[in-house]
Amino acid sequence: MRGVEVLSFLVSTAVLYSVYLILASSMEIEYGELGLPSFAKAAFFALGAFAVGALTVRLGALLTGVALEGEFKLVSYRYATLISASVARNPALGLALFAVPLLVALPLAVLMGLAASYPALRLREDHLAIALIAFSESVRVVARNYEPLVGGTFGAGVVDFLAWLRSPWKELALLAVALAMGFGAWLVEYRISTSPLGRVLRAVRDDEVAAQAYGKDVARLRAQILALGSAMAAVAGVLYAFYAGTVNPDDFTVSRTFIVVLMVVVGGRGNPFGPPVGAAVYLLLDRGITLVKHYIPVPFDVNYLSYILMGLLLILLLLKRPGGIVPERPLLTLRRALPQRGSAAAPQQRGAEGGGPAGT
Amino acid sequence: MLDVLVGALVYSNLLALLAIGLSLMLLTCRVSNFAHGDVVTTGLYAAYTASVLLRVSPYACIPFALLAGGLVSLLSFLLVFDPLRRAGGGPVTLMVASMAVGIIIRYSLHAYADVMQRTLGVYTRQFVLSDFELQLAGLRVPGVLPLSSLTAAVLLVSLYVLLYRTRLGVAMRAAIENPQLAESLGIDVKRVFAIGWFLSGALAGAAGVFLPFRVISDPDVGWSMLLPAFASVVVGGIGSLAGSVAGAYVVGFSELLLSYLLATLGVSTAYRPLISFAAIVATLLLRPKGLSSLWSR
Repeated sequence: MRGVEVLSFLVSTAVLYSVYLILASSMEIEYGELGLPSFAKAAFFALGAFAVGALTVRLGALLTGVALEGEFKLVSYRYATLISASVARNPALGLALFAVPLLVALPLAVLMGLAASYPALRLREDHLAIALIAFSESVRVVARNYEPLVGGTFGAGVVDFLAWLRSPWKELALLAVALAMGFGAWLVEYRISTSPLGRVLRAVRDDEVAAQAYGKDVARLRAQILALGSAMAAVAGVLYAFYAGTVNPDDFTVSRTFIVVLMVVVGGRGNPFGPPVGAAVYLLLDRGITLVKHYIPVPFDVNYLSYILMGLLLILLLLKRPGGIVPERPLLTLRRALPQRGSAAAPQQRGAEGGGPAGT
Repeated sequence: MLDVLVGALVYSNLLALLAIGLSLMLLTCRVSNFAHGDVVTTGLYAAYTASVLLRVSPYACIPFALLAGGLVSLLSFLLVFDPLRRAGGGPVTLMVASMAVGIIIRYSLHAYADVMQRTLGVYTRQFVLSDFELQLAGLRVPGVLPLSSLTAAVLLVSLYVLLYRTRLGVAMRAAIENPQLAESLGIDVKRVFAIGWFLSGALAGAAGVFLPFRVISDPDVGWSMLLPAFASVVVGGIGSLAGSVAGAYVVGFSELLLSYLLATLGVSTAYRPLISFAAIVATLLLRPKGLSSLWSR
């Protein structure tokens, strides 16, 4: 492989890793910590991507004074190329086209997350999961048939917001943006997980009634966490759309949600290091098979094998090591607090473990 | 219009075969089995392969579909769901595991479709099978209508007889009601549940035989029936076997008839899946007991 190819392979792997790290971090907060099966993840991911797909071309045309002619689904790719050429001369335009979809998607995702917390209060967890999956598929069905949104099955073109940079710098800039967003999201998840709030979330997960008895407002917690997790997923969607350069509704299926759940379970539910580990395992498997697929002699498409292996991996882990690769360590904050508070406080804290320790 | 009604009845028959299995698996293992759609596809390819090899109509190969679907479902119970249930896995953990099982089955079938196309030289993707036509009360109807209705009726009635008229059925219902008590009365709960899972899978496999006569089929086709089947279970009332069957006909007919009505108003029929998705969400939120609340309290 030539140097350029190696660079682009590494960059695309790192950007994908960041996207999945954001998604897995949000799923970890919602499902791993709070125990809320937020299985509409693909829809919130799609929301961010759709904001990019629907807005960059239209907004870019508006700002550069180009009139959009013809049906959106047929012309969006052509205009995306045209506007990318304008961005090449005008970096500010590129930054605006990056920022606006993000600013539109975030509040929308927060609102939708709050809306999703309404059924979350009323339904048993597995019923909630099915309802959210049905909602997620509805979003996809609407997007693939309502063509003015993101071009239906044609998809929508996305303006290259970094067109003003030359080749190696462009990739490196995308890499930097992606890694900043990915690890920023993970840091949010890490901070929550290791804070008193994280302990409350796990207390609600383990025994909702007990947590309520300790005075925790479970309904508000769910709404807040779903709003946060949905916003994070939308950020991942924005990043993914700019990376892919195109938005296609059929990219956001239940399988996408499943892959994110897989990362969280494989990594380790309830451990802040679960998402980075889980996302790495997934990408290693996925990319690894892509790299060596010409050497595997099977009479069918090797990509099927990677799906089968991932399914097997998940089931084996659930059976043999349900905690994941890095299992939850509930005493992380406790161990840090112990030397300061003295050993007298320890037994009391330990006793309150299951039911929402008084730490907030 | 006749086409719409024929389509609705066939579709509802298949949904009923799926929904009752989904219900039975919910009752035995508390798992919302997301692999059940792929069991349908397993039945489809088993019958299709047998019909190509034996040079007979796929309709004659329903026994192969029953067997293949049943075995896949039984294996998933023995290897995955029963151990997880015993280890104390919650309903969501089991659901995630079922998604993994579904993905394994689906992509194995994708691989199998490649191999089958190569070795048998028949189309295994984006294919439809041609049906025979029948004169029924002066109307021309496709053969899939009477045959799927007959299959669904025979299988559902047999299941009813098994559950409510045999010792095995009593044991199964007892094991569902209270596994510990049933165990202490000498019922082998695992064996009884395993039989339930085999039957659920067999019914789903049988449903697969009829799919290629109605829709363009490939290894993903069963998966696309899963959410409508869940809608049937939810609309019928979760935990009620009779409700699931009723729910299947309500969901099947409302999907087809509503999308037909909307099409006359200019709305694309591609939005059809929204009807069953909306039914899931609305029923769970507004009337969680579904149709079964009409006859039980």
